[in-house]
Amino acid sequence: MSSLFDLAVGTMTQGLIYALLSYGVYITYKILDFPDLTVDGSFPLGAAVTAVLLTKGFSPYLTIPVVLAVGAAAGLATGLIHVKLHVRDLLAGIITMTALFSINLQIAGSNLIVDRAVNTIFTAAPTMALLGGTALIYRKLIITFIIAVLFKILLDVYFTTKSGLLLRAVGDNSVLVTTLAKDKGTVKIIGLVISNALVALAGCIVCQEQRSFSSTMGTGQVVFGLATVIIGTTLFKKLSFVKGTTAVMIGSILYKVSIQTAISLGLPANLLKFITAVLFLGILVIGNYQKSGVKKSA
Amino acid sequence: MLELQNITKIYNPATITEMCLFKEFNLTIGDGEFLSIVGSNGSGKTSLLNIICGSIPIDGGQVRIGGESIDRLKDYQRYKKMGRVYQNPAMGTCPHLTLLENMSLADNKGKPFGLGSSVNKARLSFYKEQLAILGLGLENKINIKVGSLSGGQRQAVALIMSTLTPVDFLILDEHTAALDPKTADIIMELTDKIVKEKKLTAMMVTHNLRYAVEYGSRLIMMNNGGIVLEKSGAEKKGLNVVDILKIFTDISIECGN
Amino acid sequence: MKKLIAVLLSMAFLFSVTTGCSKKIPVIGISQYGEHASLDNCREGFLQGLKDAGLTEGKDFTVNYQNAGFDDAIATQIAQNFSSNNVALMCGIATPSATACYAAAEDKDIPVIFTAITDPVKAKLDSGNVTGTSDKLPVDAQLDLIRQLQPDASTIGIIYTTSEPNSVSAIADYEAKASEYGFTIEAIGVTQQSDVTQAADTLIAKGVDCFSNLTDNNVVGVLSSVLEKTSEAGIPVYGSEVEQVKLGCVAAAGIDYYLLGQQTGAMAAKVLKGEAKASEIPYETISEYGIYINSAALSEMGITLSAAIADKAIESDKA
Repeated sequence: MSSLFDLAVGTMTQGLIYALLSYGVYITYKILDFPDLTVDGSFPLGAAVTAVLLTKGFSPYLTIPVVLAVGAAAGLATGLIHVKLHVRDLLAGIITMTALFSINLQIAGSNLIVDRAVNTIFTAAPTMALLGGTALIYRKLIITFIIAVLFKILLDVYFTTKSGLLLRAVGDNSVLVTTLAKDKGTVKIIGLVISNALVALAGCIVCQEQRSFSSTMGTGQVVFGLATVIIGTTLFKKLSFVKGTTAVMIGSILYKVSIQTAISLGLPANLLKFITAVLFLGILVIGNYQKSGVKKSA
Repeated sequence: MLELQNITKIYNPATITEMCLFKEFNLTIGDGEFLSIVGSNGSGKTSLLNIICGSIPIDGGQVRIGGESIDRLKDYQRYKKMGRVYQNPAMGTCPHLTLLENMSLADNKGKPFGLGSSVNKARLSFYKEQLAILGLGLENKINIKVGSLSGGQRQAVALIMSTLTPVDFLILDEHTAALDPKTADIIMELTDKIVKEKKLTAMMVTHNLRYAVEYGSRLIMMNNGGIVLEKSGAEKKGLNVVDILKIFTDISIECGN
Repeated sequence: MKKLIAVLLSMAFLFSVTTGCSKKIPVIGISQYGEHASLDNCREGFLQGLKDAGLTEGKDFTVNYQNAGFDDAIATQIAQNFSSNNVALMCGIATPSATACYAAAEDKDIPVIFTAITDPVKAKLDSGNVTGTSDKLPVDAQLDLIRQLQPDASTIGIIYTTSEPNSVSAIADYEAKASEYGFTIEAIGVTQQSDVTQAADTLIAKGVDCFSNLTDNNVVGVLSSVLEKTSEAGIPVYGSEVEQVKLGCVAAAGIDYYLLGQQTGAMAAKVLKGEAKASEIPYETISEYGIYINSAALSEMGITLSAAIADKAIESDKA
């Protein structure tokens, strides 16, 4: 049924866009062991900046580097508050997130819509030159797939570098990092910077796809990110060849599929979130299910 | 050469629990010395290590290495030329990284951690050689996650990692205390071997009087922030555990322990 | 791995079962931002409007109603669902849901009818295959009402949420028009519902002569607690809608959201019947407003009505 296919395509696109956010939360929560609430602020920050730039006629492609820089700045703020001002991780993130709420309002007001006449990365000339023949819904899928996979690969390569190894070390045993004569504070800041750059990028793509920014769109995104990271890493726990980035990308897709399933089930609208929770539980239980004879890890 | 000059350290100043641990404390450690430090709990031996490493601040005096003061240096900066093995075997290695990755980390100490590849294939045989020194078969397990090794094995790896790159001092912070007697012996033997082979200057804090007596070139016993006994060279060779134990007990009784 | 495939397959199955072929009867997708008295009234009015235009649910159309629980990301997925299922018409209730519907309709020709949006121009819903009704607050009427009921008042206190577009729009309107009626506005912006009662305390301390409400979700949500405080302080509160007056506001020059919904339903019926395209119908701002009063609250505040108003006014619990 073409409508089922279209729905799958649309849901997949959502999953791929939000995978960028999942990468960000993966870095801070899983690798750095730093619960970072900045995400609720840096995600809409990316969208706010994008909405304003697009409305002013900026190139939709160039919004990407701008948004990465802006998200990096948000991560830097949290990092500096944590390391230099000695505020604990959770609170440092909350401070930045709270400040960003006001900053986002200043940048783009309470909401900002991008007119259809304005081009996004899905409708601009270079994209149309390559993909002009395909329907918008498929263009969105192709482009978001490219972006999600590109950044996944960049991250995977980064983790094989010395800097990436040190990042993994600081979350695992920060004492060792100090004994190796490196400043663990600086290493954490690098992690926060990379993470929030990716989260802001997610906000940018969401804004281009939906053509809107809303100052409340960040609420609950860190919960989303954590859910996708946990779902992804739990499901692929036993398959060590699946990289962490791949696992959380799939986690994001599964999350969006769960919501769309709940919507499609036609059950009372208020039960949407409850149904989603039940679906997550199902996924996690299946993921935790161990074949008999294999010891559950301690 | 490490010098502690007139070190004063007061814990909880101006409070009801104020305690002056060190008052104008002095200690010099020459190049190539292997110093053992013993003493009861609270004698100041661990604080001494922490002062040298920069983990705790001092209220007076100076710490000098090679004639230059290191007081301005932060803890991670001091570790450039120092290695440290902790009492807790979990503190010396990263459990979720492989043995190879841990070795690669240690190998890069003192150099920038940039965007170059984290693992240098050319060094693989060197890492295996180093691990082979331990005699624990770890050179064949170089791709397993360190978290699945036993405490003793992790401590052995920590020992190798702490000296993989050249260091001026090796600080051994009760590094056998958490191990079972057999493993502790193995680690102590390995420590001695590595210190001798690499001609390191080492400071070992220990509760084990036998190790303090049998290994190392110099022994000091601390109590209440001061040195109450010091033996080195030929005198130290002539010591036996029973004598030390008696001195230790006498001091303890004196202090009402 | 097998487990993963099993999960994905069962989900795909559920999809296909539920998105099943609803033969030729056109489906109307109603996407409501969240459950809320005004928005619910809108929806019910909308359905009534369709009925009044001669369309019968189940025969001429079926309804797929979804609400996003005030979550923007869910509003997006609801709109995608409607778009992929090629519904005949999407009805978006409140700005985030309506803009999500319109974004999902990009590249398809599905008409979008919106309602309960204060500023359709700002939401870029004033052109294209989209139309609907705007609930722009009748600020002039409200200011006039307050002036008539409290001839000596000079300051009006208003609490609003800085991130609600409808509220931001309305505040600007109030501040522009207040002086014409001899008022100054004391406005306090909050970011979340839990700050509203504190804002009320501040306004009371400032000695405002009355409060006026916008259609602000957060404020309306805790209206009872605000009314408790203002009641004690002897400060009258003017609502923006009949439900609020029922709760205890003295009066309102307000929109009936049910009527707004009905107007919207009528427009949707035209589009469904093929009488006009959504792109050909300009959006409508509701011009009809009603004066609603709560006699008990009025007497508590010592306000008497002039004959002119008493004639027009509708007792809120009879509305």
